[in-house]
Amino acid sequence: MASAVLYLRMRQKLKVKPQQLITVGDLAQLISSDNTAGHIAEMEMYRIKPSDKNLLVVDVMKVVEKIQEHLPALDIQTIGPAQTIVEIQYPKRRVSTIYFILIWFLLFIGSGLAIMNFHEDVSMQEVHQRIYRLITGIDNPTPLMLQIPYSLGLGIGMVLFFNHLFRKRFNEEPSPLEVEMFNYQQDLDLYIIMHENKESEKNLNDK
Amino acid sequence: MTSRVLFAMLIGFAEGIAVGAGFVAFLTVLGIIPRLTQLSKTEHLIRFYEWSIVLGTTVTSLITLRNAQFHLSAFWLIPIGLACGIFIGLLAAALTEVINVFPILAKRIGVVDKLLIILMAIVLGKICGSLFHWTYFVFR
Repeated sequence: MASAVLYLRMRQKLKVKPQQLITVGDLAQLISSDNTAGHIAEMEMYRIKPSDKNLLVVDVMKVVEKIQEHLPALDIQTIGPAQTIVEIQYPKRRVSTIYFILIWFLLFIGSGLAIMNFHEDVSMQEVHQRIYRLITGIDNPTPLMLQIPYSLGLGIGMVLFFNHLFRKRFNEEPSPLEVEMFNYQQDLDLYIIMHENKESEKNLNDK
Repeated sequence: MTSRVLFAMLIGFAEGIAVGAGFVAFLTVLGIIPRLTQLSKTEHLIRFYEWSIVLGTTVTSLITLRNAQFHLSAFWLIPIGLACGIFIGLLAAALTEVINVFPILAKRIGVVDKLLIILMAIVLGKICGSLFHWTYFVFR
């Protein structure tokens, strides 16, 4: 009789509470050719300790080792990611309102300053005077007729780019901001996988 | 004489190619046109947008270099100003995105759920900074 096969796929990410007990089923999706998957899923892997801080990487090898302790004859086939990032979620500490307002004003003033610097940098005033003369044939040192719509347009353009003008979505596609957030998170995850997982690096010169 | 004119033409043409290619490269990196087509679901019309950029650049260069004047009503400036502003706004937003300001900010200070308000700070800051510049700063 051929030995039973277990297909095991590590989850990309697992979010847990402090002190929680993680089972094999939490860490991986399991399918088996006999009915052992449910039993394996219940196997206890690890209890979160305070010393784990907020991140932990569990390598697939650890899970395989655990399963083999109980079921040495099982043929384990692993698919997909080779590790799971365990994120330990402590009760969220609220960002204080004062702190938030300060950041808001910093960004408000800073972006205003940045646009003024940009205008001076590219001689926007002269360009606007020139557009005014081009259209009307009159010299006007302060072409506000052009500049006030321009200023409002600046805001519209930025909002348009980030697609927040309409709260309802145009379509299913994510906005550039969401894609950017996702990419950043992926980079962080990759870093964690490489650096938090002690098994992924080995230094033979270590004493 | 003829050779001088020809040489000047060659230099002008070379300059035009370099600046034009650079301009298009810049727009491509920032991805404003894809973004606008994505919002308006007009991917099949992207050819026309390309020509709009090419014609806009060429026609405006010709008009401004020859110092033309149209003697039109000043109210024409309102849509033109608005269009200029939206374009610069798109550029500014695209630049902010390229340099990864928001993800880092949101992660660091833990305000992922308030991202919209943070975004509004930057947008309103741009509008107010610009209005302040034109209505006060230039008179100083």
